[in-house]
Amino acid sequence: MNESSQSFASSPAPAVVAAAQSDGRLNLRPAGRPGTAGRLDGAGIGQSIGQTIGTVTVVDPVFSCRNVDVHYGSKHAIKGVSLDVGKKEVLAMIGPSGCGKSTFLRCLNRMNDTIPGARVTGQILLDGEDIHDPARDVVQLRARVGMVFQKPNPFPKSIYDNVAFGPRLHGLARSRADLDELVCTSLQRAGLWDEVKDRLTQSGTGLSGGQQQRLCIARTIAVKPHVILMDEPCSALDPIATARIEDLIDELKESFAIAIVTHSMQQAARVSQRTAYFHLGSLVEVGETDRIFTNPRHRLTEDYITGRFG
Amino acid sequence: MLEGHISKSFDGELAGMHIRVLEMGGLALDQVRAAARAYAEWDVRNAQLVIDREGALIACGTRIYDDQLTLIARRNPVASDLRAILALAKVAAELDRAGAESCKIARTVLHQSGRPGRGTSTDARHLANLATSLLRLSLEALDNLDGELAEQVIDRDQDLDEEYAAGLRRLMTRALEDPAKLEVTVEAAFALKALERIGDHARNAAQQIVGIADQAIIRR
Repeated sequence: MNESSQSFASSPAPAVVAAAQSDGRLNLRPAGRPGTAGRLDGAGIGQSIGQTIGTVTVVDPVFSCRNVDVHYGSKHAIKGVSLDVGKKEVLAMIGPSGCGKSTFLRCLNRMNDTIPGARVTGQILLDGEDIHDPARDVVQLRARVGMVFQKPNPFPKSIYDNVAFGPRLHGLARSRADLDELVCTSLQRAGLWDEVKDRLTQSGTGLSGGQQQRLCIARTIAVKPHVILMDEPCSALDPIATARIEDLIDELKESFAIAIVTHSMQQAARVSQRTAYFHLGSLVEVGETDRIFTNPRHRLTEDYITGRFG
Repeated sequence: MLEGHISKSFDGELAGMHIRVLEMGGLALDQVRAAARAYAEWDVRNAQLVIDREGALIACGTRIYDDQLTLIARRNPVASDLRAILALAKVAAELDRAGAESCKIARTVLHQSGRPGRGTSTDARHLANLATSLLRLSLEALDNLDGELAEQVIDRDQDLDEEYAAGLRRLMTRALEDPAKLEVTVEAAFALKALERIGDHARNAAQQIVGIADQAIIRR
């Protein structure tokens, strides 16, 4: 795997792994070499997991996160996570309920700022710049880092105005013609134009679930983000709408980096190039999606994806 | 091993596939033994038995192929589960081939085109014992998902290959001494080859078992 140009080294596989036995004693075992088929290492559930298995860095990342911790009051929700998001890739984040994947996603556009008692520490760089720098505008950040949510949430406005809202706010169009062009292009790229081009003045909330979600995607890409975050974007949709959006994600990755949180492992396997497995707030393993789903290196990852616990 | 899923029905389906492959293995072993006995004793009755039972072995294989399909379609297996399902299906394919080789030997007896001489018969009996033993050990390894035992099968197949080569050389020498017995010689060579191939199929099955067992060791 590629090393990033930053000084932070990728996590080497530990030489010895402490595994908790059921009687509470620790069993020290030699850890597997990366790439060794069938050699899994891991700690017991609930114990400290140790270093992340796999390469957290990428060459020329869009996002670069180092030692990110999130506390909600006294609850330690994210524990020292380091992870890069690469350009032109889809990074899937999977893990059982409460593992922190959505919390981590929300760090990337500072949505956790809106949660009382939430405290984020560590370094998060977007295109090399610290997103927590007080001199930076968080509204601008949220244009550069768009988000699509589980439940489609179009504004109670016309389809046109839904897409035009962001560009108007950020002054991205100089004229009405520019705006028309931007709305049209965004709807086309979201795969929705043909279905709505004759009813742009109708309310966005009148569309079907799948169409609403594509409208939300069009709205997100209209402000020309660098990254699109998706939090279970298809959970509320039927299989056909899901398949269309997964296809769309595949096209969009050519222009935007995409980080997607999903409960569906099959979806993570279908849409992503890299997959990160979270467990109880820690990043257990990250790697190429094909390899994670055929030959994961950490026992916890293997157990989760094969349905042996969750 | 193959179990431990939250879904116990998934555990059950995998266990079912495992058991069916073992059952097929038992049938294949019976076929090999019967064919070997038929050849050694030049016994048409045993030979016919092998031919008659081939259908049951093939039906077993078809059932296991269906297991593979439905498990993949219904369960979306990944990682160790996916590898185990594919490996079990490959083991079944090897058992099917071993059964087919047994039928070749049986047909040689049914043709009655020349009983092998004492030398060839001895060699054949020796090879048959080795092949049968390899297949039996392979099945034992499959039963317990025992990677070490499977590795032994892989090693010992080399012995069988060497014994086959030696047996073939002896056969050729005898053929040169008595060219009138060409047809018998050719048939005997095919029979020895079939026995060698049975050993190969046992080895191939063992290789698949090593793969499954690897995961089982880690989980244990």
